[in-house]
Amino acid sequence: MDVVEERVDAGSEEVNEPGLWTIISPVNREIYTGMAVSLLSLVAWLGSIMLFLPIGREVMDDAPDSGRLWTLFGISLGLVVVSFVCRVLSFRISHLGAFRLEQILRTELTTRLARVPLGYVVNAGSGALKKVVLDDVRALHAFVADSTPLFAKTFAAPFFGAVLMFVLDWRLALISLALLPVGMIGMFFAFRDYDVARRKVDDANERINGVINEYVQGMHVVRTFDDGSGSFERYREALSDATATLREWTEKSQAGAFIARTLFAALPTVLVLLAAGIPMYRNGSLELPILVMFLLLAPTVTESIVPIVWLQQLITNAAASVKRIGQLRAVELMPEVSEGTPPADASVELRNVSFRYEGRDDNALTGVDVVIPEGTVTALVGPSGAGKSTIAQLIPRFWDVDDGQVLVGGVDIKEMTNDQLMSSVAFVFQNPFLLSDTIAANIRLGRPDASDADIVAAAKAAQANDFILEELPDGYDTVVSERGSSLSGGQRQRITIARAILQDSPIIVLDEATAFADPDNEAKIHRALAELARGKTLIVVAHRLSTIVDAHQIVVLDGGRVVESGTHEQLVANGQRYASLWSHFNEAQGWGLRTSADERSQSAPSAAAQTTSTS
Amino acid sequence: MITTFQNMIEACGSKAHLMRWSLLFAVLYSIAQGLAYALLFPLFSALLDGSDDVWWYLGGIVVLIVLDGLFRFGETRASWRVYIEVSDETRSNLGEQLKRMPLEQLARRQTGDLNSVLTGNVNDVVAIAGGLFAVVINTIVAPVVTILAMFFVDWRLAVVMLVLFPPAIPLYRTLRAHAAKETRISAEAHADTASHLIEYTQGLAVLRATRQVGPESERLQASLVRLREAQAKGTRLGTGPSLLMAAFVQIGILAVTALAVAFVLGDSLGVAAVLAVIVITVRFSEPLALFANLSQMFDFMEAAIDRIGELMAVQPLPVAERRSDGAADTDGSGAHVEFRDVTFAYDQGDEEVVRGVSFEVPERSLTALVGTSGSGKTTITRLLTRFADPQEGAITIGGVDVRGLSQQELMQYFSVVFQDVYLFDDSIRENIRLAKPDATDDEIIAAARAANCHDFITALPSGYDTGVGEIGGALSGGERQRISIARAILKDTPIVILDEPTSALDTESEVAVQRAIDTLVEDKTVLVIAHRLSTIVAADNIIVLEAGQIVEQGDHEALLGADGRYAEMWNAQRAERHWQITAV
Repeated sequence: MDVVEERVDAGSEEVNEPGLWTIISPVNREIYTGMAVSLLSLVAWLGSIMLFLPIGREVMDDAPDSGRLWTLFGISLGLVVVSFVCRVLSFRISHLGAFRLEQILRTELTTRLARVPLGYVVNAGSGALKKVVLDDVRALHAFVADSTPLFAKTFAAPFFGAVLMFVLDWRLALISLALLPVGMIGMFFAFRDYDVARRKVDDANERINGVINEYVQGMHVVRTFDDGSGSFERYREALSDATATLREWTEKSQAGAFIARTLFAALPTVLVLLAAGIPMYRNGSLELPILVMFLLLAPTVTESIVPIVWLQQLITNAAASVKRIGQLRAVELMPEVSEGTPPADASVELRNVSFRYEGRDDNALTGVDVVIPEGTVTALVGPSGAGKSTIAQLIPRFWDVDDGQVLVGGVDIKEMTNDQLMSSVAFVFQNPFLLSDTIAANIRLGRPDASDADIVAAAKAAQANDFILEELPDGYDTVVSERGSSLSGGQRQRITIARAILQDSPIIVLDEATAFADPDNEAKIHRALAELARGKTLIVVAHRLSTIVDAHQIVVLDGGRVVESGTHEQLVANGQRYASLWSHFNEAQGWGLRTSADERSQSAPSAAAQTTSTS
Repeated sequence: MITTFQNMIEACGSKAHLMRWSLLFAVLYSIAQGLAYALLFPLFSALLDGSDDVWWYLGGIVVLIVLDGLFRFGETRASWRVYIEVSDETRSNLGEQLKRMPLEQLARRQTGDLNSVLTGNVNDVVAIAGGLFAVVINTIVAPVVTILAMFFVDWRLAVVMLVLFPPAIPLYRTLRAHAAKETRISAEAHADTASHLIEYTQGLAVLRATRQVGPESERLQASLVRLREAQAKGTRLGTGPSLLMAAFVQIGILAVTALAVAFVLGDSLGVAAVLAVIVITVRFSEPLALFANLSQMFDFMEAAIDRIGELMAVQPLPVAERRSDGAADTDGSGAHVEFRDVTFAYDQGDEEVVRGVSFEVPERSLTALVGTSGSGKTTITRLLTRFADPQEGAITIGGVDVRGLSQQELMQYFSVVFQDVYLFDDSIRENIRLAKPDATDDEIIAAARAANCHDFITALPSGYDTGVGEIGGALSGGERQRISIARAILKDTPIVILDEPTSALDTESEVAVQRAIDTLVEDKTVLVIAHRLSTIVAADNIIVLEAGQIVEQGDHEALLGADGRYAEMWNAQRAERHWQITAV
C-alpha cells in the first residue's frame, strides 16, 4: 500500500496543482447560497439578541408596558425560528452540494482514469487509486459542507458584532476589541515554533502508523520464527520513541494552548467589560441594558477565534487530499485521434522502440525492433526485468513509447482510436479479473451484444462450461463473490479466457497466463488457450520455456534490449543467451528434493529430451 | 451516558487515574465557571442599588476566573497525558495481543482492518478521552451549577430551567439512534463504492476494451448514485433531530427569559435578576445547542472501544499443564511428527477442511503433501505449527502433544519457507538475523552463503547493511526467497516445512533457489507441499489429499503401482509439461 501511494505522489511535484477552490468550483452555487443563507441565519440571531436591548429598557422602565414587552418577545421568537430555519437550510444546501461535488469529482476522476496510460493505473494500484477517488474526495466533503456555515460564523459574526458594539458604545467597543490583539500576541508567542513542533508531531504520528503497519503485516511471518517477541520489541521500541516525541511536544506546547484557551474564553471578556462598565454606569455615562448587550455580543467576537482554528484545521486536512486529487488530475491523458486508421491486418511491429517508466533513471526498453507477421506465434523470454512484460503492455497501448513506433496491421497505434485498437488486441493477464457480477455478465464483457448462446459457446471453448453448470449453484447466473473465493484461480482464468474468446480479436497477448500450477486446471487452461489462439497472431510472455519451443519466433530480451531472436533450434544452436536460459530451465525442471543428479534423468525425464524428440 | 463514562475510564487501563483526574478537573473548573456566572445576580442587584458591594462581587468573579484557569490548566495537562499515555499503552497491549492470539484468528482478519484498529480506533478513543470529554462535562455542569445557584435568587425560575433538561433526554436519545443509523447507512454505501472502485481500476483494461468507462461504467455509476442517495438520506436523518434539539434549547431559553420578565411585571422578581438571566441564558445557549453534535463523538468512541475490545477478547491457545519440573515429556524420538485422527474445521459447524487425518513423519524423512487446491495441504502444515488446535485428534512432535508446548518452544522445531516472502523495512542483515536474534555476523554470512545469496548481497551498494526499503523492487522474487531460506538455515531447526517455495519464480532464480533449498533440507525432517510432482519423486512418503482426507499414501513407485489418484495426477502433469502454445 505504502509503496503504491508513493507512486501516486511521485513525479508530479512541479505540476501546477489546482487549488482547493478550483476543485470545489463545480458546486460554487451551493457554496455561495449556503453562505448567504447562513449569513441570514446569523443576522436573524443577532437581531433576536439585539431585541434584549428594548426588552431590558422596558423592564427597567418604572412603568413597563407589558403589551410592548410581549410583542418584543414575539418578534424575538420569530427571529429565533427564522435563524434556525436558515441554519437547517444552509446545512442542507452545503451538504447536498458537497455530495454533488463528490459525485462529480468521482465521475470525472474515473473518466480520466480511463484515458490516462493504463500502465499508470496498473502501477498506482487499485488500493491507492481507490483512496484518492473515495477517501480524498470524501475529505473535501468535510471542507465544503462544514466550512460554509463556519465562514459566516467566523468572519461575519465578529464583523457584525463589532459594528453593533460601536453603534452602542464606542468606548466599550474599543475595550472589548482591545482584548483581541492581546490574545493574538499571546497566541503568537505560544505558537511561535508551532509549525516546527507540529511537523515533529506529524512525523511522530507518521512513524507510529508506519511501525504499526509493519508490525501487523509481518506478524504472520515473525510468528513462524518464534512467538513474535523479537518483532514486538522492535514495535515497542519504535512506539516508545514516538511517544517520547509526543510527550516532549506537549510539555512545550500545552502552556500556549492553555493561554489561547483562556484568553479567548468568554469569562475574561465578561470580567473586563464589567470592570470598565460599572464605573461608566455609576457616573451615568452608560445605560445598564447596553452593558448587558455588550456582555452578550463581545464574547461572540472573541470566541470567533476558535472557529478560525477549526477552519484552518479543515483546510489543512483537505490540503493533502487536494494535492493527491490534483496529481491524479495532472496525469497526462493519452492523446487519441478522433478518426483513426483501421489496421490492415493482424501483424504487429515494434520499430526502434525505447521506453522509460516515469520516475526511473534507466530505460525499460532501448531500440527494440520486432516484426510479428499475422497468424504467427512469438514468444518473449528473458530474466525478470528484461522488458518482456513492457513490450506486452505497449502493444495494447498501456503506455506510449518515448521513441520509435508500435504498429498494428501496419498502422501506428497512436493513429488508431481506442475502439479500433481494442477490437484488434485482446490481453489475457496473469491475474484474472472478474466483476462481482454473474458469470454470464463476466463473459459478456468481451462483447456486450453477445447472445446467451454465444456465451455458452465461448465458455465451452474455454473449458469452463462444465464447472459452471456442475459446480456453481446457479450456473451462469451465479454471482462471483467479491474476492472470488468460490472459484479457484484456474477457474477464474478460464472465465477470462472465455471472455477473450468471445471478444475474438485477431491479436492475442498472453502475459504468463499459465501461472496456475494446479494440475487439473493446468490441462484445461492449456486447452482453453489453444482454442483462444486458433488462427490468431499470438504474443506470449513465457517463463516455462517448454511451452514455447514451437513458436515461430522467440525474442530473447535482456536489460531492455533484444539480444537474440529466432526459432528454438536456431537459438539453442547459437549457444548464446537463450541456450543458457534453456539449460537453466531444464535444470530447474529436473530438480527434485533429495534427488541426486543421476536419479533425476531417470525418474523425471527432462522436458528438453521430450520436446526435441517430438518436434 | 454513565456507561459511556465507565467504558471510557475502563478503556484507559492502568492510566484510569489520569482520566479520573482529568474528569475531576473538568468538573471543578465547570463549577467555577457556573458560580462566576451566578455571581451576576447579586452583582447586578448591587449595581442597581448603588451599593459598593458590587466590587466584592466583581472580586469574587476574578477569584473564580483564576480558579477556573488553574483547574483548566490541570485538566489540560491531565488530558494530554491521557491522550499520549493511553494511546501508547493501548497500542502496546494490542501489539502484545497480536502476538498471543492464535495465528488462525490472525489470518482471518485483514491486515487493513487490524491496522485501522491499532491506528484509527485507538486515536478515536484517546482523542475523546483526552479533551472532548471535558468539553461535554463543561457544557452540562457549568449551566447546572448556575441554575442550582439560582435557587437562592428565585426558586421558581430555577425549577423551570431545571425541568427544561429532562425533555431534552428523549430528544437526545432519538438523536443518537438517528446518528447511529446515519453512520451505518453511510458506511455501507462507502464500502459498496470502495469495492466498485477497486473493481473498476482493476478491470480498467477489460472495461476500456468494452467502452464501459467513465460515465458509461454502469456498475460504478450506479454505485455513485446510491452513495449520494444514502448520504442525502443520512443527512436528513442526522440533521433534523440535531437542529431540533438546538431549536428546543434556544426557544426554551427565550421562554425562561419571558417568564422572568413576567415575574418582574408581577413584581415578584427584581429587574437585576432579569438582566442576569438574559446574560446567562444567552451565554449557555450556544454550547448547549452544539451539545447534540458532540454526542456523535460518543458513537465513534463506543464503536472504537468495541472493536478494540473484540480484538483483546480473542483468547490465546492454551498451553497444557506440565510436569512439576516444567519440562515436557518427550519419548526421545526427536523430530518425529505424528498426526492421529486429526479433524479440523475453521468454525464450529463449518465444513471440516481436515478429516480424520493420520500419518507419521519419521525423523529426517521427506514427506510430501499433494492434492488440488483446497484439499487441505496447507491447513495440515499450519496445524502442525499450531495456528489453531484441531477439534479432534492429536498432533505430536517427538511424542509431545503440540498443545503442551508454548509458542516459543514449538517454533524452535520449525522453519517455514513460504511462496510469499515478507521482508522488513530494515537491513538485509537484520532481516536474516530475525531467525536467531543472538546470531553473530559470521553466522549470518555463513547462512547467506549456504542459501546462495552472499554474492548478490555483497554486490549491493551497502552489502549486508543495505536497507530492504531503499532497494525495494530491485530485489527479485528469487533473491527475496533466498534471503528467506538464509533465515531458515540460520535458525537451523530439526523440521523444515516448504510451501511451494519455487512456484512463483522465473527460471534462473528457480535454479538458485533450488540449490539453496538443497542445503536447507540436509539432515532435516521435511514436510513439503508440492504442485510439481517431479520435485518430490524422492520423497519417503507422499500423502495424497482430497477434500481434507488422505486418499493414498506411499512412495512414488508404490503410488504409481497403485494406479490411483496420484498416478492420474502424475500422468496429467507429464502430458502437460510438454504442452506448447501453437497457432493452429
